[in-house]
Amino acid sequence: MTNIKILGVMIGTISIYTWIANAIPQIESVVPEELSFSSDVSEAELVAAGGELYNGGAGCTTCHGLETRAPNLLTGYNGEGTIGTRCGTRVPGQDCKAYLHESMMNPMAYVVEGGFDPMVFQARVFSGAQIWALVAFLQDQGGVVTVTGADVAAAAEADAAAPAGGPAVASTDPLEIMRGNLCLACHMLNGEGAELAPPFDGMGSRIEADRIRRGIIDPGAEIAEGFDHLAGSMPLTIPDLLTARQLELLVDFLAGQGG
Amino acid sequence: MLKRSRGRWSWLQASLPVAIVVAVGLLAIAMEPLAAQGYTPREYGDFPVIGSRAAIWIAAQLHLFFAAFVLGVPMFAVVAEAIGIFSSEERYDKLAKEFTRLLLVSYSATAMWGAVLVFGLITLYPGLWGYLSEIFAPSMWVYVGIFFFESFTLYLYYYGWDRWKKGRAKWGHWGLGILLNLWGTAVMLIANSWLTYMMSPPAEVTPDTAPGMVQFWSAFANATWMPINIHRFIANIVFGGAIVGAYAAFRFLSAKTDEERAHYDWMGYIGNFIAISALIVLPFAGYWLGREIYEFNQQMGTTMMGGFMSWLWVVQAFLIGVLFLAGNYYLWVGMGRIPGAERFMPYTKWMLLVLLIGAAVWATPRNMIANRAEITAMGGQFHPFLGVLGVMSAKNTAVNFMILTTFLSFLLYRRANKKAVVSWEKRGTTIQGALFVIAAAVVLFYGVYGYFVPSIVRIGFSVYQVLAVITAIILIVVIDMLMMRGAKSRGEIRWGEMPERSQYALFILAVTFTWLMGLMGFARSGIRQHWHVFEVLRDTSVDAATPALGYASIVISVCVLIFLSMVAFIFWVGGLAEKPVISGVGGGATGSAPAARDQEI
Repeated sequence: MTNIKILGVMIGTISIYTWIANAIPQIESVVPEELSFSSDVSEAELVAAGGELYNGGAGCTTCHGLETRAPNLLTGYNGEGTIGTRCGTRVPGQDCKAYLHESMMNPMAYVVEGGFDPMVFQARVFSGAQIWALVAFLQDQGGVVTVTGADVAAAAEADAAAPAGGPAVASTDPLEIMRGNLCLACHMLNGEGAELAPPFDGMGSRIEADRIRRGIIDPGAEIAEGFDHLAGSMPLTIPDLLTARQLELLVDFLAGQGG
Repeated sequence: MLKRSRGRWSWLQASLPVAIVVAVGLLAIAMEPLAAQGYTPREYGDFPVIGSRAAIWIAAQLHLFFAAFVLGVPMFAVVAEAIGIFSSEERYDKLAKEFTRLLLVSYSATAMWGAVLVFGLITLYPGLWGYLSEIFAPSMWVYVGIFFFESFTLYLYYYGWDRWKKGRAKWGHWGLGILLNLWGTAVMLIANSWLTYMMSPPAEVTPDTAPGMVQFWSAFANATWMPINIHRFIANIVFGGAIVGAYAAFRFLSAKTDEERAHYDWMGYIGNFIAISALIVLPFAGYWLGREIYEFNQQMGTTMMGGFMSWLWVVQAFLIGVLFLAGNYYLWVGMGRIPGAERFMPYTKWMLLVLLIGAAVWATPRNMIANRAEITAMGGQFHPFLGVLGVMSAKNTAVNFMILTTFLSFLLYRRANKKAVVSWEKRGTTIQGALFVIAAAVVLFYGVYGYFVPSIVRIGFSVYQVLAVITAIILIVVIDMLMMRGAKSRGEIRWGEMPERSQYALFILAVTFTWLMGLMGFARSGIRQHWHVFEVLRDTSVDAATPALGYASIVISVCVLIFLSMVAFIFWVGGLAEKPVISGVGGGATGSAPAARDQEI
């Protein structure tokens, strides 16, 4: 009888925990679907694919499903309505499609005040077709979908032609190179940028050109003193996004930043 | 004749883990020529009915359950032996030996499940196995070597117990216990490096990095390695204590004599004490691990705490609430067998209230993923009332109050049958009370103040709350130890006179710890999502998606059931081979002896 009681207590306890875990909302982490569209893809197909990504594998709702980390794009934010109704007025002179696309390609450009920095790195994991499908879905939230099959086809061609990324900008101006590669999203220079990583101001007086070059090519090799907690944050793709000439221009420019 | 057959059985049983490790090693060597011929293994294999993921999950979880037990128990076995040496009380030495006997029979199960896991990885996930073994091969061989040393140290430790019982030989024997812990810790550190590498590979490792090019030490000592080491080290003690408690409860309920009942009552108390004491420290190690995960990758941290796993923490809070309640309930019921404890009994209902409110606040969700319909039904992103209780300020306050309350329960239990003889008893008690009030006031102040400052400032407040509680606990214990030196006894603890219902609390503790361990294992592994090695080696199998909590809970429950069934069988078999060691605590302390002799711990 004692053994039966013990068994009952144990199985009963396990059953209660299992029941609770099954009674709460069930959320699965799905794998982001690889999209393959032809140029005659319909609006409905794009919106549906974007919706699946947004609510599933892309993980958007982790932050955009709340109001504490990032704007809730589907239910409105600060009384401004859903994203489809307000995307066209966020930046003067920029239409909804361009704004949304830019927000994903270059997220730091439009992160709202108090926004969450993981968005900076989010776009790296999406293909061009996935980005356009997401744009279509977001436009559909109260607005008009203007993404077309031509946009998707062009993005797919670009992805295929430049799988390694290629240079992010064609400029030879160090400042433009830094802006185009989002360096100022973390580093500060002359009041521009963020104070997350070591500042570019005075960098030449702290470290030599070789060390700067190494820091860009292999960011994990040597971490600046006091920034150990950011180890691994610097994108490893930067060298793939610069030409050799751009890299040397950047190194010279930063080495010239005295105290 | 009978004695000889028992000895042979013991050695056979003891040799099994070593034989298993040798077999796995030989298999790995046998596979090498295939690799040399340019043979490329397939990426994934199939497992019938439940699938490869569930099969590997169950094997890994069961191996971890047993491994945690055989790593946790030697820690307090060696401490119990030391108490026995220093206090010259034989009952502690016998208790340590009984702990070790449980250990011996559990080693085989650990090795068996380890072998199942390795064979599972080789046959079901050959691609991943090949990748990991190319990086970690040297540490895998060192692991096997240390396992040998660990096993043989254990044999010497257990079988030499009665031979090396006195004088210098006893110290040498105790040294073996320490060595056993060192081997065990080394084995854990090596295995932890493999799994933490999968979570947090070094920044320089990309999908294009060939495994042979990954720097060994950088992969070994990765970002989450040390936090996991510390977290597991403490959790193993908690787990070992809980399982020992359940073992003692089972023996108590099936005891035939008063002496046996008294012994296992005492053993159950020690198991509960170890489990709850270490549990109090565990959340701090958890905070550190969480912070390291956020610093390694914010997306990973967000996925863990606020993404698809957000509901998991509500379930975790419920389980921890059960642990605190069951642990305290056991102590309160146990006070019934301590003369003098009656004076503290009226306070228990208030402590229960604090624990219930604390558990409810801790389990209150806030940042949950909600769809449009759910947000509309709730009247906004947060619940109008419960949303206020869901923030970290309220949760940190709640958990610190629960820790303080549990500590108070232990203190009252410890002091129940003692009467201090020092002249400063009243002053000492007043200071202890003041320390409780100050700690509670600091916790409450920062809990309320947290609502009026930005979140980044609020996060720092938890450190002040924790420091206040830890400082108070340390100071109160020191004062208590000084105050109770040479204390008079109000009467002997009546070991064995414990209501049966109290023993079921020990079973609930063991089941809940085991289930919680499975849940946390799912959280740690699941935050990699569809990556074998996060953002380096993608999971392209049919099971790449990470399942929802409902499915996970079923797998966890199956693992817990298998584990507990095997533990019951192993302990039963162990009981067949040798008689349990009864320490005779019931008559161990006399009325005239200092009360401290009843419960040094």
